[in-house]
Amino acid sequence: MGNKQFEKIRRPENIKLPYMLDFYPLEDEKNTRISKFFENLKEDRFTSTKCKACGKLLWPPRIVCSSCLSDNLEWVDLGVEGELYAFSEMRGGAPLGFAQDLPFCIGLVKIGGLLISARIDNARYEDLKIGEKVKLKIVELEDGRIFYRFQRID
Amino acid sequence: MRKVAIVGGGGTKCGKRDANWRELVQEAGKTMFDNIDNLSPKDVEALLVGAAQPERFTFQVHVAPMVAEHLGITPRKVIATTELMCASGQAAIRYAWACVASGMADVAVAFGVEKMFMPDMSEAQTNMTCVLDREWDGVNAMSAPPFFAMTAQRHMHEFGTTKEQMALVSVKNHHYSTMNPLAQFQKEVTVEKVLQSPMVAPPLNLFDCSGITDGAAGVVLVPAEHAKRYTDTPMHIIGSGQVSIGNAINNLASIAEWVPLRMAVKEACTTAKITLKDIDIAELHDCFTISEILEYEAFGWCEKGEGGKFIEEGEPYVGGKIAVNPRGGLLGSGHPLGATAILQTLDIFQQFRGEVPKGRYVSGAKTAVAHNLSGAANVHSLIIYSRD
Repeated sequence: MGNKQFEKIRRPENIKLPYMLDFYPLEDEKNTRISKFFENLKEDRFTSTKCKACGKLLWPPRIVCSSCLSDNLEWVDLGVEGELYAFSEMRGGAPLGFAQDLPFCIGLVKIGGLLISARIDNARYEDLKIGEKVKLKIVELEDGRIFYRFQRID
Repeated sequence: MRKVAIVGGGGTKCGKRDANWRELVQEAGKTMFDNIDNLSPKDVEALLVGAAQPERFTFQVHVAPMVAEHLGITPRKVIATTELMCASGQAAIRYAWACVASGMADVAVAFGVEKMFMPDMSEAQTNMTCVLDREWDGVNAMSAPPFFAMTAQRHMHEFGTTKEQMALVSVKNHHYSTMNPLAQFQKEVTVEKVLQSPMVAPPLNLFDCSGITDGAAGVVLVPAEHAKRYTDTPMHIIGSGQVSIGNAINNLASIAEWVPLRMAVKEACTTAKITLKDIDIAELHDCFTISEILEYEAFGWCEKGEGGKFIEEGEPYVGGKIAVNPRGGLLGSGHPLGATAILQTLDIFQQFRGEVPKGRYVSGAKTAVAHNLSGAANVHSLIIYSRD
């Protein structure tokens, strides 16, 4: 290259994290027809949809029953306490936006007849046991979107 | 339906490559065509390209025409990219097989490529976190390592499987990959080394996990009655099974027992008109050590819960009950998502022709199975290959 000079062009060092890369769903009624889940969650209610035609409890919440294709669904409460079925801990290799939380636990929680994945707060891997009770925790993003986690009961 | 033969192919060295996506394509494509007599790129009528996430890893879509352009292929029958995450390459083979079997094309290429090393690896980790349900599982950082960690935890909890038994899978597959020049990892590991490697997601250590890998490969499929134009020793597709049940964690068929794989194995053996005893080589999807243990069980080589004991007794080695992953598996050879199934197939082709080193050669092998799982092990894809 020697002493050659080129016109400098700019590559921004920081850009706003695009919505599709932050993992969290777009929650309001303009973006999804299951916004009720998030409205319920704001009221400390952990809910999902159940098919009124065949009785199948669905997760994640849906607008059509994946078992019988009925669209006659109702919101049901799943409770706020669950049981830890399995768990691990992220020690590294976190996706963009999650690195600041390392290390953190994630697990499979049995709740209301479902088996769902969730972050498990208030614990390190060594503290947790299969079968342990965990309770619902609600977290809020800076833009007002909310999401559920579970936490260890002390 | 016509009987379909694979007449050859080629692949790149896998690993962290000083080459970009399109250079991997060119390298593998040239090797593939150089390896096959009497075949020109212009003869290819169908091109299927297995690529799991080129839009994220390379920021490029419409990749099948990119491959075609770089290799001088001008398909006149079928061209498409196939995506089934870790089984994307097998999806390409299955479509290419269908094209040839149906009579739609006389020469089909099943290609696979993935460039996974990125300047910022947290971007690569992000890509791997949208495989399960992004909004309901990915959001919890649920990617492959924690999911398979929990699979291992449940298997240990329910059946008493040990970390030492899991480590033995890594020891075996790294042993075979030292004899595979295309493999990412060329060094032996010991149980101690596996257990002392950094903890990724407990109970999984680094050497319980397959690597991030760059690689590409392609194979050529033709009607069996045309095979002798290209080679004296083709291999044939004689059966397959593919089962997909759910995607999100809640909708899994099972955690510590892979029911969909059991179903796919039954389908594959039935369509191939073989029994488990006929299989001489098994190229299985050992993305994690625990995966291979569950696979011994789901195939039926051992009882449910006894996969750990099966490796402890040396049964999945060459010369044991069944030679599992004599290529070195994903643990030893690397896992360039879209290319993985093509590389498995290529190695079986070379096994049948006696072109692999003695230490991992399965003498007299006539029948082989290639398996890939994808997602949270709720999708299993199998092809049965025969020398005859």
